[in-house]
Amino acid sequence: MKHILIIDDAATVRLYHRNILEAAGYSVDEAINGIEALEKALVKPYDLYIVDVNMPKLDGYGFLKEFRLQENIKQAPAIMVTTEAGANDRTLGYAAGANLYLTKPIKPNELVAYVRLLLGDLS
Amino acid sequence: MAFVKRQAPDDLTITQDKRENERDFQGLLLELNSPDVTVRRWAVRDLMQIPESSPFLVTRLGFEENISVRAGILNSLAHLGDNVAIAGLVSCLRSEDAALRNEAIDVLKEVPDKVEPIMSNLLTDLDSDVRIFAVNILESLRHYNVEQWLIEVIEKDPHINVCATALDLLSEVGTEKSIPALTQLKARFEDEPYICFSTDLALKRIIEGS
Repeated sequence: MKHILIIDDAATVRLYHRNILEAAGYSVDEAINGIEALEKALVKPYDLYIVDVNMPKLDGYGFLKEFRLQENIKQAPAIMVTTEAGANDRTLGYAAGANLYLTKPIKPNELVAYVRLLLGDLS
Repeated sequence: MAFVKRQAPDDLTITQDKRENERDFQGLLLELNSPDVTVRRWAVRDLMQIPESSPFLVTRLGFEENISVRAGILNSLAHLGDNVAIAGLVSCLRSEDAALRNEAIDVLKEVPDKVEPIMSNLLTDLDSDVRIFAVNILESLRHYNVEQWLIEVIEKDPHINVCATALDLLSEVGTEKSIPALTQLKARFEDEPYICFSTDLALKRIIEGS
């Protein structure tokens, strides 16, 4: 079973994404900000990261920049999920190291499709 | 505080040396633009005590690159709390720098009395991102009107992500008073799985908690 880390300061968003991904057969952990996510990832590397942008302590851009510097875990794909839909926001997300930039709210089938795509789980 | 005290001997030696000019307004303004980060940090801290300093701190905030000086400016502006200072903090919500936005949100959460007069304007700003950040400010704002502001957002705001952000918070702080607005929101966005999921969650919590 592949492991996914959801990084978002909103409990409802984490639960929504968790329910969708667990129903699709993935194991899910949660972090409430970039710092907690880095700490968890360094202890237990995940197969994929779903990252919010605006979070206290360390935001999504900061997390991705730091994450991509960590030799042992930096290869894992990351989906940036945010309310900001501007072209510049996307550019910043990709520059920080996101593999994919999605705008909230995300439909369940859409999220699962992108996760499967990035994890190579398409049959 | 304990952290500061443990570092005091070394820090005081260094930082006292860095307070180069007179600690009057003009001297501090000179130091606010010093190339030395430590000098600027001290100037920012001391300018907190001078009401006329808000415009100068706001101007410096526009191009200050050092994170600790920037954090000091935000705190000083919150402490000063005049119209210019608060407007300077609010302007950070329009920044493309996510870290600056989040720092400003955190600082604004700490000054509910200063935020109250402008909250209605922030929640109806033309920019949906600013409206979302305004809801983020409400998250920890200890103010009696938080639930009512959130109800008005989910009743009136046309943008789904503004409503979704308010909904996240209402699921934590909402009372029976929020039930009609939550029900109405679910009907308004009946094709949006996230809204349906989170309104159900909020309603369940409120009903079970009542």
